[in-house]
Amino acid sequence: MTTAAEGARLQLPALMQRVALTQESLIRAALAVAAALVCTAVLIALSGKDPVIAYLALFSGAFGSIDRVAFALNKATPYLLAGIGIALCFRAKIINIGGEGQIAIGGLGATWAALALPVAHPTAAIALALAAAMAGGALWAGVATIIHLSRRVHEVLVTLLLNFIALLIIGEALHGSLGEVGAGFPQSPLLPATAWLPKLWPRTPLHIGFAIAVVAAVGAYVLLWRTTFGFAIRVAGASRPAALYAGLSVPSITITVMLLAGALAGLAGGVEVLGVHYRLIEGFSYGFGFNAVAIALLGALQPLALIPAALFLGFLEAGALAMQRQVGVPSSLVAVIEGLTMLFILAAMASAERKPQ
Amino acid sequence: MDASSIDFLVAALRIATPLLFAALGGILSERAGVFAVGLEGMMLAGAFGATVATFLTGHAAFGFLASIVAGACLAAMIAIVTVRFQAEQMVTGLAANILAIGLTSFLLRSFVGRGQAPVIQVALLPAWPVPGLADLPWIGPLLFQQPPLTYLALLLTVPIYLMLMRTQPGLLLRAVGENPIAAFAIGAQPLRVRALAVIACGAITGLGGAVLALQQIGTFSDGMTYGRGYIALAAIIVGRWMPFGTLVACLVFGAAEALYLRVQAIGLPISSYVVQMLPYLIALAVLAGLGRSARLPAAIGVAYDPKG
Repeated sequence: MTTAAEGARLQLPALMQRVALTQESLIRAALAVAAALVCTAVLIALSGKDPVIAYLALFSGAFGSIDRVAFALNKATPYLLAGIGIALCFRAKIINIGGEGQIAIGGLGATWAALALPVAHPTAAIALALAAAMAGGALWAGVATIIHLSRRVHEVLVTLLLNFIALLIIGEALHGSLGEVGAGFPQSPLLPATAWLPKLWPRTPLHIGFAIAVVAAVGAYVLLWRTTFGFAIRVAGASRPAALYAGLSVPSITITVMLLAGALAGLAGGVEVLGVHYRLIEGFSYGFGFNAVAIALLGALQPLALIPAALFLGFLEAGALAMQRQVGVPSSLVAVIEGLTMLFILAAMASAERKPQ
Repeated sequence: MDASSIDFLVAALRIATPLLFAALGGILSERAGVFAVGLEGMMLAGAFGATVATFLTGHAAFGFLASIVAGACLAAMIAIVTVRFQAEQMVTGLAANILAIGLTSFLLRSFVGRGQAPVIQVALLPAWPVPGLADLPWIGPLLFQQPPLTYLALLLTVPIYLMLMRTQPGLLLRAVGENPIAAFAIGAQPLRVRALAVIACGAITGLGGAVLALQQIGTFSDGMTYGRGYIALAAIIVGRWMPFGTLVACLVFGAAEALYLRVQAIGLPISSYVVQMLPYLIALAVLAGLGRSARLPAAIGVAYDPKG
């Protein structure tokens, strides 16, 4: 009979190895961020501005006041939620880039539920709207999965094409039954206040969405490393033949992980609508899905490491506007940093994967 | 055929022209085995290069050249990451698109506009009527009174088809996209072929950006390609990775949008959003319909590792 201590000793090498691998991939991510920041610093210097002053302005813009921090955390929230689902998909080697569309449909679901199903009790109203958001996101991911599995179409193509259709559905809904009459801009009427997300920190914009996202990250960590299904995800991602040999059904793994990712992305859309805008606005989530992919890569597909990755992006975006105002360095620099970071990480991840372990 | 029908066809061709450049470029990349998600960014880079170079030099010829170089530069980055480092191609394309949006916007403001968004107008390229043919009834205005890049887009389909399907380099390119290991066995260098195909894709797609900037809009604004690169991606699918099929797909997408503009003028209640969905819906339907017989290049998205 093995004692608990023996069991722990048996697990220790595996755990150490995992920690080492995680550290290695996180160091790679940090190096990629640093390289991107250096490249953009050179760009700033070439444009005749001092990169140190620009970065300091960015930093103080991001952390300067409680409101700024709250703003940045709100920014990070949808990226984190959607990024977790994408990381799970990528872990299983399912390249789901449909976050953009799933987030949008999630926002639509939350809006519809909040407007069409008035519930007096705030907790119930919020729960219902968020459930509708998750259902919407999962539905959109489900459509992609059905086409992918039944017609054997590459999942990247299906999820990519469905993104654009989803964004146009939002536009159509806002010009039709869901739109606010006479608003002059494609947006829904203001949602009933019972469905608004409560504040996490009173008198700041920070809503409870960030707490939900952190809980989701912890849940995904447990799922991935502590459950049989998480093991199945990792086996399917590491080697499809091994998964088949182990008697795992790759299609059912695909369906489950896609629906999960869709629900999380939908939740991201719902949280953005119920926590920030209190209404559905055309284009409210433009770029969120692609940023979520960036987060997933930046966090090396480790659910817990996604939290600092999302914070990095949130603070970067929050600080960029201040940098533009104070130093005159355009805020579009953020997209340059994001794009370069992603390219560096992709290259580093791929070359690490090729290295014999 | 009355004047308004000709206007309609001219509009369809106008909308199709930038798509056609991007889609023809994309065929080269995808046939060599690299997903062309970066078309959007390459086109944006091309539009940026074309506008700025034409604005600074006053000559559209430099604009053309700059659009080719800008598109090829972004493509070279994609080639390094996807071919040399063998990273996931779709996500790399998305990253390159984000980079292109940020970089064009940043460069425009920092170097041309001194911190602000500058207003730079360039004269639209005039039509070049083909002597003798331009006066033909209804086919003249449609095909022979166009600005220069439109002729180039239509003509380019032929050499790309011939190169791809009838020449040794084209065969090699397709072989690398179908089975890089077999291609290597017969003496090809899959990495080099793929990198060159992606860079050529960027150069051609950059010209699509020049069409937008110099023939249709006359200036550069942030994200001005507005998803056209992704529509070109859909056109490649609908055209089944064949140049002439893709030409037809681009024209059909152009006609759909032109039709919408006309329907709107008459006042029929068709939603613009539904019309804009058509390219993506058609592409999905084609993909789903092809199913297992889809003629996707067999090794597309699959990295080639020279060491094993």
